[in-house]
Amino acid sequence: MTKALKLTKNTEQGVREFVKFLLEKGNVKGVFTLKKINQKGSVAYSLITTSDELNDAVPFYPLMPTNAGTLLSRFTLNGSTTEPIVAIVKPCELRAFIELIKREQGSLENIYIISSTCGGVYPLKIVAEETIEKNLSQYWDAVKKGEMNENLRPACTGCTEFTPYTADITVDLIGHNNLDKECVLILNTKKGEELAKEMKGEFLERELDKETLKKFYDKRDAAKKKLFNEINTKMKGLDGLIEIFGRCIGCHGCSTVCPICYCKLCEFDSSDSEYKPSTYESELKRRGGLKVPPGTIYYHLGRLAHMGISCVGCGSCEDVCPVDIPLSIIFKKVGESIQQIFEYIPGKNIEEKIPLLTYEEEEFTEIEE
Amino acid sequence: MIKPAASSEKKGAVLSIKTTIQDSIRNLLKKGMDQGVFDAVLIPMRVPAGDSFSYVLIKDKSLLNNAVALPPIMSVQGAKAVSSVTRLGNGTMKIAAVMRPCEIRATIELTKLDQVHVENMTLISIDCPGVMPILDFIREPEKAIKLFENATKSWDDTIMRPVCQICDKSSMIAGDLHIGTLGTKKDAFFIISNSKKGKDTLEKLDIPLNGNIDSWQIKVKENAEEKQKKRKKTHKDLKTKIGHLDNLLDTFSQCINCHNCMRVCPVCYCRLCYFDSDKVKHPSGEYLRRAKEKGSIRFLPDTTLFHMGRMMHMSLSCVSCGSCEDACPMSIPVAQIFSMVADETQGLFDYVAGRSSGEPLPLKTYKKDELHEVEDAHD
Amino acid sequence: MKKDETFMPKILAFLCNWCSYAGADLAGTSRSQYPSSILPIRVMCSSRVDPLLILRAFLNGADGVLVAGCHPGDCHYQEGNYYTRRRFMMLKKVIEGCGLESDRLRLSWVSASEGSKYARVATEFTKKIKELGENSAKNEIFL
Repeated sequence: MTKALKLTKNTEQGVREFVKFLLEKGNVKGVFTLKKINQKGSVAYSLITTSDELNDAVPFYPLMPTNAGTLLSRFTLNGSTTEPIVAIVKPCELRAFIELIKREQGSLENIYIISSTCGGVYPLKIVAEETIEKNLSQYWDAVKKGEMNENLRPACTGCTEFTPYTADITVDLIGHNNLDKECVLILNTKKGEELAKEMKGEFLERELDKETLKKFYDKRDAAKKKLFNEINTKMKGLDGLIEIFGRCIGCHGCSTVCPICYCKLCEFDSSDSEYKPSTYESELKRRGGLKVPPGTIYYHLGRLAHMGISCVGCGSCEDVCPVDIPLSIIFKKVGESIQQIFEYIPGKNIEEKIPLLTYEEEEFTEIEE
Repeated sequence: MIKPAASSEKKGAVLSIKTTIQDSIRNLLKKGMDQGVFDAVLIPMRVPAGDSFSYVLIKDKSLLNNAVALPPIMSVQGAKAVSSVTRLGNGTMKIAAVMRPCEIRATIELTKLDQVHVENMTLISIDCPGVMPILDFIREPEKAIKLFENATKSWDDTIMRPVCQICDKSSMIAGDLHIGTLGTKKDAFFIISNSKKGKDTLEKLDIPLNGNIDSWQIKVKENAEEKQKKRKKTHKDLKTKIGHLDNLLDTFSQCINCHNCMRVCPVCYCRLCYFDSDKVKHPSGEYLRRAKEKGSIRFLPDTTLFHMGRMMHMSLSCVSCGSCEDACPMSIPVAQIFSMVADETQGLFDYVAGRSSGEPLPLKTYKKDELHEVEDAHD
Repeated sequence: MKKDETFMPKILAFLCNWCSYAGADLAGTSRSQYPSSILPIRVMCSSRVDPLLILRAFLNGADGVLVAGCHPGDCHYQEGNYYTRRRFMMLKKVIEGCGLESDRLRLSWVSASEGSKYARVATEFTKKIKELGENSAKNEIFL
């Protein structure tokens, strides 16, 4: 049984008080979490160093303006932090950060991670529509009952990885009716225990509610299969790809916001992907005409080949797409099929090497047939 | 180099429309290809799925049957398409490029930035009623096509991008040729030449430049004046809305730093933007120091710096096309703000982005005697 | 789909210098017959084959792509072909997952002495590609 700390506060307030305590005691020098950053109520990730500012923290807000994996990577890109901080992030963001660490794009040193079983996030356009506050009670209702929410990002609707693997402290939100009355911090690691040991509250033994989570998993899995089947009906042959990606404007926003796409200069932005005038001429001779700029399908297939192995299915790509291409489902589907070859769950285990960077001498003998 | 013909010098021809203006334009381009005046045409075509339009470089004449000179949307800014084809040189093909005035203007700006080579290109613009926000088209393509058709007939801009609604340069001629659809008699349109290349092209196409384009010029001036009034008022209101640091920060508070605006901008051509480079990637200690100073900082910080920095970098060449705002996933009125600032920065130097390729970029030239008002301003 | 008897596929074959290129050479000198559909490209090791090269080949109209290398354990650079194998599995899934015909992509281990194997693989693969038909990407405008 795992140690846990129970606070008799509503869950969000409990977490806020916990991190305030850590800050005030000097156990951490900064808190990284979602916060209301202005009077309008806009929410963004923030690095917070004073208790006062923590009053506006909204750690489990159902919004992902940027994947926190990217942000933690940026924070530790030029070296691990020498001062300890605690970060409250969603499971897919944590997995993305782990995948980035495997690529030498960050470090977990001196970072304590708090995560939760995740009810998903809303698509970013809800911010422009100014309806997120209205939706909050419906959101938490569904989370507390362990029910599906139809208005989330498609990637979240079909997400079966809503339980964090490597957090130091996990807050079990899904299917818990009493989130308004109590806050239970499950202390998964020694680091987590150390961090919490001086906090005032009731120490007890608690695990994640596996049964409830399994029920929720089944609902999500069914939704995922439905989403994948739907997109499969559209992905038939090159014509299918041309239909789906035909309206792509080549902004590469998907790659910019993708936590895994970290390359300073993307292959598809480099001169490698530029067509010389002579290339245009020879292409035109053969095809009679060519879309300009060319290489749309190449870009998406190439990005799948490059990052599919580590796709955490966060759905940021689809949210940023100016022309509403159902990217997150396509990338999630293909990503998972690649990961399944190697029985790999990206970000689950920091010791596990990225499958394409290692090998077994005897494997996949069927490939030759 | 395109030297703009002075207003009174602009020569035009009056051509008749047998079926539709689109057909007439297509026939003209086909004729050009038949006669070897053009080897290829760069013009939008509807994509196979029907939910968008793409620029296509066409060599096979039969594809011109599906070309659309003035599509309801601007999926990729035309100047970006020109840059994709000619950044690395002119090639051997003579290309006719048909685009909206702001796309031609952006192309002209890119010639000054060495990002396009148009020596083998004939730039053809067309009177523009505006462009619909791209999502409005994608969600209901057939409905949008009808809406746009009607809007073109009545020259009504209510369904267009916000910056199109206050655009006073929608008939501005900056390329070699311009197709005028305003102030025409029924079933007729103008072709106006703006350069030697344009004049030569029309000659080769047996189109004599003996038409009277006064009615076009009058209508264009009328429209421009109306739009200028609207523009002035809209900018005044916008300035109030975003004026003062608090309002500015609030406006950009929703920005998620996706940089879509920068990427779709035709003028932002840097392969590695300053704001994506190592210069803005600081060590953790630096971020923590800043966070301690203020009690908390947004992470990643410097969102407003990105926008103001981009303004500083490109506003002198901003053509107010509005592609940035279309691409913003958070519906921030980027184009409206940038366009307003661009008016002010360009106005400072009496410069209009893309007006003429002969005009150097204001920051690459100087007068020995100018702008004394900024020197020792507080003496 | 009507089988076009006159369709001679264009199959790009990436052959590793030390084993499969030599094997292909041996097929030639031994006069083993195989179709002229194969366009060989010599690479130093099968692991040099970037999945992007294969994607480019398909989008440029190649009807099939064959990647041939040394048998696992015999790579001239010790480990290259192990990585090739994994990358290949991954790329197959990408192509399959996007609704394209993953049978147009084949991996084969051909040693320097396996001239007849090379000829056999080339013949089999050409037959397969003929069945699948021409790659429509050749003439696509909206790629």
